[in-house]
Amino acid sequence: MTDQPVLLAEGIQKSFGDLHVLKGIDLTARKGDVISILGSSGSGKSTFLRCLNFLETPDAGRVVVHGEEIVLRNGRPASMAQVEKLRRHLGMVFQQFNLWSHRTVLENVMEGPVQVLKKPRAEAREKARALLERVGLTQRADVYPAQLSGGQQQRVAIARALAMEPDAILFDEPTSALDPELVGEVLKVMQGLAAEGRTMIVVTHEMGFARNVSTEVVFMHKGQICEQGAPERMFTAPATEAFARFIADTR
Amino acid sequence: MNPMEILAAHGPRFLHGMGMTLLITGLGAMIAGLFAPWLALWRAQGGIVAQSALRPYISMMRGTPLLAQLFLIYYGSGQFRPELQAIGLWWFFREPLNCAILTFALNSTAYQTEILRGGIMGVPRGEIEASRAIGMSRGTLLRRVVFPHAYRIAWPALGNEIILLMKASALASVVTVYDVMGVARQVYQKTFDFSALLWAAVIYLLITATFVTLWRQSERWLSPHVLAMEKRGRR
Repeated sequence: MTDQPVLLAEGIQKSFGDLHVLKGIDLTARKGDVISILGSSGSGKSTFLRCLNFLETPDAGRVVVHGEEIVLRNGRPASMAQVEKLRRHLGMVFQQFNLWSHRTVLENVMEGPVQVLKKPRAEAREKARALLERVGLTQRADVYPAQLSGGQQQRVAIARALAMEPDAILFDEPTSALDPELVGEVLKVMQGLAAEGRTMIVVTHEMGFARNVSTEVVFMHKGQICEQGAPERMFTAPATEAFARFIADTR
Repeated sequence: MNPMEILAAHGPRFLHGMGMTLLITGLGAMIAGLFAPWLALWRAQGGIVAQSALRPYISMMRGTPLLAQLFLIYYGSGQFRPELQAIGLWWFFREPLNCAILTFALNSTAYQTEILRGGIMGVPRGEIEASRAIGMSRGTLLRRVVFPHAYRIAWPALGNEIILLMKASALASVVTVYDVMGVARQVYQKTFDFSALLWAAVIYLLITATFVTLWRQSERWLSPHVLAMEKRGRR
């Protein structure tokens, strides 16, 4: 039981109309894994991430989170309640932050614990403050998201994900919408999370993060996993031509 | 007679008329307000088949004159008196006041539905995804994210709709409801004094002005985050 993966995906397939985006993806995340998913745009990496928490429903394959497999019936989750339960175990951080614009920073972080986990407000508030301190935003607890920079918003979004105490966090290109000078502050927070042993699955274009922080790199190409392995080996001795070309192009 | 004498002689009547105007507008708008959000969801998120059930109703209500709708319900129900008596609904349709409120509610529901549909379509998609991603149920999502945004977006247009409804409620006087307009016509027919109609205009203006002030205040209360940004912009 101890070696049970936090998240297991097998044979995930997804098509949008005639476009076969995912052609059978497998991924196993164990506790403490930091998996970077790389790939050029259109390789299906974001779609795959969204299949893990059923923001997209996979056409085929299985997803097991917290030891529980989501049951699909007629191409849809058989029970939305089961999907909602899964999502509580999987945090998600979006490229565009997606903070609730009508709620303050503090309220954004409290929302999940209060409304979804039904925690008492006082407890949630205390915890939210601690999390904001952790991402360095104590001072901005009472402003609205639009009053923050992109980097600050993304750090709030990370605090919001952490507030749910998830088993793993999915990051969907968390720094791609940021001005270059703001990327560092977000990566630093993510690095901190990795260092404390959080399980993370990160779709990213940040080669530095993939190479230095993650424990495993997955390279997706044309809807399939093209190469996969330890970051150091992958970056120093790419086994496939596609990945070699990819790291050459992004350098 | 000078206008003040008209007011002195018929003031209480006008006051009563004002109460009636507020009652039919308020009830009509509120009943519509109870149904509109759900119909708007249906319109915004329902399948094509489900929507096709709703479209004819909305087209009818928005595409025909309110006066025609009022006549249809008031005089139309008279045509079916035996049937309505048989199902025990005649007591309702017998009263012109009930017919007026029902007409206004039906009409305003159609408009409010379309206004709110626009609001629902305007809710930021990413915020909905973020809500789903933390495992919010559909009900919580509607209550915490979709409706707060939709109402904020739709609020000015909803206020406009209520003002239009308030002015349109003068039509009720045609089916013998003594609202502001009904009272004004009654007084005018007695006194042949034009100022009776002027007083009616003053009362309508007064209602509208008060309503606009209150509505604007509520708009600020609904959008603290927008206000915060405006303040920053002015600094």
